[in-house]
Amino acid sequence: MARGPNRLLASRVHRTATETLASTVYPNTYNPSPPWVTALANIPPSEIWTRPYPAQHALTPNRLPKSRKTPPKNLYRPTKIVFPEDKLRRAFYADHPWELARPKLLMEIDGMDARYRDWSKGLRQPGMKLSGESVVQRQLYLMQTAQMSRSQAYDVARKEFYKLRRFEETEARIAREEARAYGAYFGKTVNQVGMELEDKEYNAWLKWAGEEIEGQEMERQAAYANDVDLPVAEEGVAPDA
Amino acid sequence: MIVRNFGLRHGRQVLSVPPSAPSCLRLLSTETITRTTTAPAAGNEEAMEQLAALSATHAAREARIARSQQRLEIAAIPKNYKKFVKYQKETENLGSEIERRYLPDEIIRNPPHDASLEDLLAAQCHMGHHVSRWNPANARYIYGQRSDIHIISLEQTAAHLRRAARVVEEVAYHGGLILFVGNRKGQMPIVTRMAELAGACHLFQKWTPGCITNKDVLLQGGQLKIVNEKDEELTGFEEHLRDCRPVTPDLVVCLNPLENYAMLRECAVATVPTVGVIDTDADPSWVTYQIPANDDSLRSVALIAGVLGRAGERGQQRRLEDAKQGVVNWETPRDVRGHIDRVNLKLKLEAAERWEKKQAELGPGEKELKPADLMTEDEVLAEMFGPGAVPSRR
Repeated sequence: MARGPNRLLASRVHRTATETLASTVYPNTYNPSPPWVTALANIPPSEIWTRPYPAQHALTPNRLPKSRKTPPKNLYRPTKIVFPEDKLRRAFYADHPWELARPKLLMEIDGMDARYRDWSKGLRQPGMKLSGESVVQRQLYLMQTAQMSRSQAYDVARKEFYKLRRFEETEARIAREEARAYGAYFGKTVNQVGMELEDKEYNAWLKWAGEEIEGQEMERQAAYANDVDLPVAEEGVAPDA
Repeated sequence: MIVRNFGLRHGRQVLSVPPSAPSCLRLLSTETITRTTTAPAAGNEEAMEQLAALSATHAAREARIARSQQRLEIAAIPKNYKKFVKYQKETENLGSEIERRYLPDEIIRNPPHDASLEDLLAAQCHMGHHVSRWNPANARYIYGQRSDIHIISLEQTAAHLRRAARVVEEVAYHGGLILFVGNRKGQMPIVTRMAELAGACHLFQKWTPGCITNKDVLLQGGQLKIVNEKDEELTGFEEHLRDCRPVTPDLVVCLNPLENYAMLRECAVATVPTVGVIDTDADPSWVTYQIPANDDSLRSVALIAGVLGRAGERGQQRRLEDAKQGVVNWETPRDVRGHIDRVNLKLKLEAAERWEKKQAELGPGEKELKPADLMTEDEVLAEMFGPGAVPSRR
């Protein structure tokens, strides 16, 4: 339907149907219109294949082509959606890749959570876990309001972040120790469980391999022993003796 | 047995009882306890008898201890149970209460009547395909590109969805037959629920090519029924139902147009309007009414389908309410109408025949009978107001 004479077949069903119904080839025939023709008389389909000038998302306006002879390219192609945080986020996670391994909080309060944040007050924000996103937002705030350069703002935000992370880790460690002192039992760690499973597999393989080697050895010995021919030779020898 | 699991295996009942050495021993060991005695010298019968008597008394003592232990345990059961119930009562109000929990199929069971932009975003309706796979005909629906995929403009989605919902509602209101199609993996519950809401038909398996353009062969012998405006089944059409042609839907809603080209093509040829979810790689000209949205996410499809199903439900409700007031917005199909006319004509001829016969039987001096005297009430009404006027014979 995309090409050829029938490409508008689907869009024109209503027109086709009304024209067919109005045809005067068989004039005195009772021909009720199907229910959808009356139903859709006032709901035309939207236009298709129009190619609007797309929304421009670039932070800086697009540069004009160098010479007037070159026509502008990709004029109707959708543009990239960019935000000022993108570069900062990329830089932070390139420097701290293990921050990506931490669990991420996906819950929102009401979908407009940015209203609850005040990045002038530091990295700790209500309803938000301390993460790389805090650093990025704080850095952007410093760049935009405190007129710091990108690297300066990064250093400030990053150091605040390190301090809070240290604090969190110490807090967690002390809480763990305290709980242990009161008899808490945390069970095996993920690594321990993993190592045990791995050991189990190795031991199973070792047992299997031993059996295989034993079997092969027996087969080999059986091949050299020549046991099959012996009774025949004895039989052959016996009458003569 | 592992000591750690001891409590788990034997429950708090045992733990609450003060432990005593013999009972614990019995519970803790899996092997049987054997007491070894020195074997008596052969022939020493006296010693043997003594030993037997000793062991007998020993066994009796053990059995006695075990019995008393058992009695104690049984006696402790009600006390422990009371304690357990008390603890349960004390702790039942502790902890947090979950007011609203996330149920993945809530959107299918109870779909919204309209989808807001937030709903559409939460259902990931805005996710398109990789930019290299786009169909430039969809440029109108695309907001921009991010992470190498196209982002569908949710304003466009919402506007088109409302239009499509109106289409479904109106067709349902005018008594049209709607077919919902979604034959991707996992779309079955969505499509069936939607059809259930809108009082429509559904398809979640392969579309047999030709079900519209070659329906007389493929759908031969399918079951049909004739209903009145209140959706009550009418009798007296058995002969017609045996001979009539299979029906064609009045509206087809397709959740995955990419896999259903043959069906959409048939619909276009047979002038059946279609509604389709158009992702950035689909062709919008395949369907009459487009809904630009992500068709690969079940959540997105469920939201869109739910809104359409609700629209169909509204249309059916409106239609039935109007029918109660006597307003009917659809006409009897041509073939059914023809059948009714034929039946009426036959009845009329029969009545005329009866009248002539009666007239011949009558003597010359008696009063003449009119044809109406031998007709039934329905036949008289049909005579007065034309064929098809009597609802029970429609």
